[in-house]
Amino acid sequence: MSMISTSGLTKNFKSYKKAPGFMGSLRALYKRDYITKTAVNSFDLTIQKGEIVGLLGPNGAGKTTLMKMFTGIIVPSNGDIKIAGYVPAERDKTFRKKIALVMGQKSQLWWDIPAMDSFLLLQKFYEVPDADFKARVEQMSELLDVKDLLHVHVRKLSLGERMKMELMASLLHNPEVIFLDEPTIGLDLVAQENIRQFIKEYHRQNNTTIILTSHYMADVHALCKRLVLILQGKKGFDGPIEEFEQILGREKSVSFSFSESIHDYTDFFENFSPEWNADFTKVDLRIPMEALREISGKVINKFPVIEFNTEKMPIERVMKTLMEKPELALGNSSSGEQTHVL
Amino acid sequence: MNSVRHYLSIYKKFLATSFSVQLSFRTSFVLLIVMDIFFYVSTLATVDFVYDHVSTIGPWQKEKLMFFISFMLCVDHLHMTLLSESFWVLARQIRTGELDFILLKPVHSIFSIFFRYIRPSSMTNTVVAWGFLFYYGSKVPLSTLSWVLLPLFLILSFMLLAIVEIIISTAMFWMTEGLGINFLRMQIQSLARWPDFVYKVLARRLFTVLMPILLIGSAPVRFLLDLKSWDYVAGMVAAIFVFGFLMFKIWSHALIRYESASS
Repeated sequence: MSMISTSGLTKNFKSYKKAPGFMGSLRALYKRDYITKTAVNSFDLTIQKGEIVGLLGPNGAGKTTLMKMFTGIIVPSNGDIKIAGYVPAERDKTFRKKIALVMGQKSQLWWDIPAMDSFLLLQKFYEVPDADFKARVEQMSELLDVKDLLHVHVRKLSLGERMKMELMASLLHNPEVIFLDEPTIGLDLVAQENIRQFIKEYHRQNNTTIILTSHYMADVHALCKRLVLILQGKKGFDGPIEEFEQILGREKSVSFSFSESIHDYTDFFENFSPEWNADFTKVDLRIPMEALREISGKVINKFPVIEFNTEKMPIERVMKTLMEKPELALGNSSSGEQTHVL
Repeated sequence: MNSVRHYLSIYKKFLATSFSVQLSFRTSFVLLIVMDIFFYVSTLATVDFVYDHVSTIGPWQKEKLMFFISFMLCVDHLHMTLLSESFWVLARQIRTGELDFILLKPVHSIFSIFFRYIRPSSMTNTVVAWGFLFYYGSKVPLSTLSWVLLPLFLILSFMLLAIVEIIISTAMFWMTEGLGINFLRMQIQSLARWPDFVYKVLARRLFTVLMPILLIGSAPVRFLLDLKSWDYVAGMVAAIFVFGFLMFKIWSHALIRYESASS
């Protein structure tokens, strides 16, 4: 069953350019140079019930604009969206009860009151029965370890604690579709891991459909089986995370550390794009997947290897490359060869 | 019926959270009470002073005008207590994108935007505002039927004022900045605080038909003073329906225009 489907989704924003300084402001008062920016361009997407999909892209790629169109906050300039059978822009009451949005950079909690007071207000908004409300607050506060903080004013909470409360606030009404827009932004490593574990557990228990955007590849790696890449408002990739990792070729990044300099033997590594440290005691290689076992074995046998690592998240390297050279993905996408829709 | 219960239960929480927030800042709370009382007294004292020097303004003697002013102060009191904060907050919400989460809530956005912030400090001044109204009502004096109808007309006047102000405020979605719009609103409130006969014919027609702010006070007070003057009241009720319909239409267009600030 398709939970989210879009076709030809486009959003244009109109703004104007203003020259700097006082004269620029005066000029802009009577004459404005308007520009139209296409934030999302002909975006097609289908997501099935229960999937967790990572929506990746650099800053300004159109991720948040997509999230806002999915939730009905802003209205598309063109194209169609259906979320759980509803058109978001129509803002149907039942639709709004089926979705939740968490934005790492914006808060829905009231700063001058404790989180619990906000939860009670949300309970009324979403008409959550008392027993369900109590059970969910109990369960989520236990999972997130924030039981003692429910009655503390939100402005007194740390960023990590506040984000946990934001998550709770968004999930109190047991939504069917959750949009998570950078939920771990600015959090320390422990807090990031806690949030990830919570989302994972929540998804396991509720089989909710989740769309996640994040600049932390660890989030995506831990939670998503499928990735959608958006670059300059267009879809650049849509498929399993394993295929995304190989989008630039079936190579693995491997690093070797040696007990002594092997400056005289660098010829051996020439075919694997070596990147050496200054004293030639460490090298990073790109080895074809099918030759990984053979080449690694040879290096270990031939040289004084003291440490050997394969990269943990090739996705990070791929993302970095695509952000520097978006044409690699957009070119592939237009030919239709690298885009996979589950 | 279920819907009404739903909205009432939310409104109860709005009230509770607004109290909770304002009572955290005690000095500000007390200052707002004092400021409101000062506003009521100074407005009435100004008119009182003018009547020390003239016997009538337009067709009205002192008691009638003081009753009109105190009626408008009660409308203003309702407005200050239930709505005014939200207009100031809206401009910021549009500019910063805070509106995003409000639009997600499963209730009508006009309700969740304009009825969210209640000013409990003004609520405590209810006795003062109504005290003036009862005092000058008894001076006029009002008929029994007028006393019975008085609360209803206060609510209708408040509704018309709210509708006109919400329509004006939708301009913030196009302009993004709301300071100018809020000052325009305040000017319109000031115009409505005087009876229609103080304005020239053209202005009176403009502010009665095109932007019916003079109906807010003049229509009900004329009727309460003379039960035969029902035509103005009929005009006010019609204006509530017509402008209420317009408000919902314009609001829908404004939401389509909303772009939300980027994160």
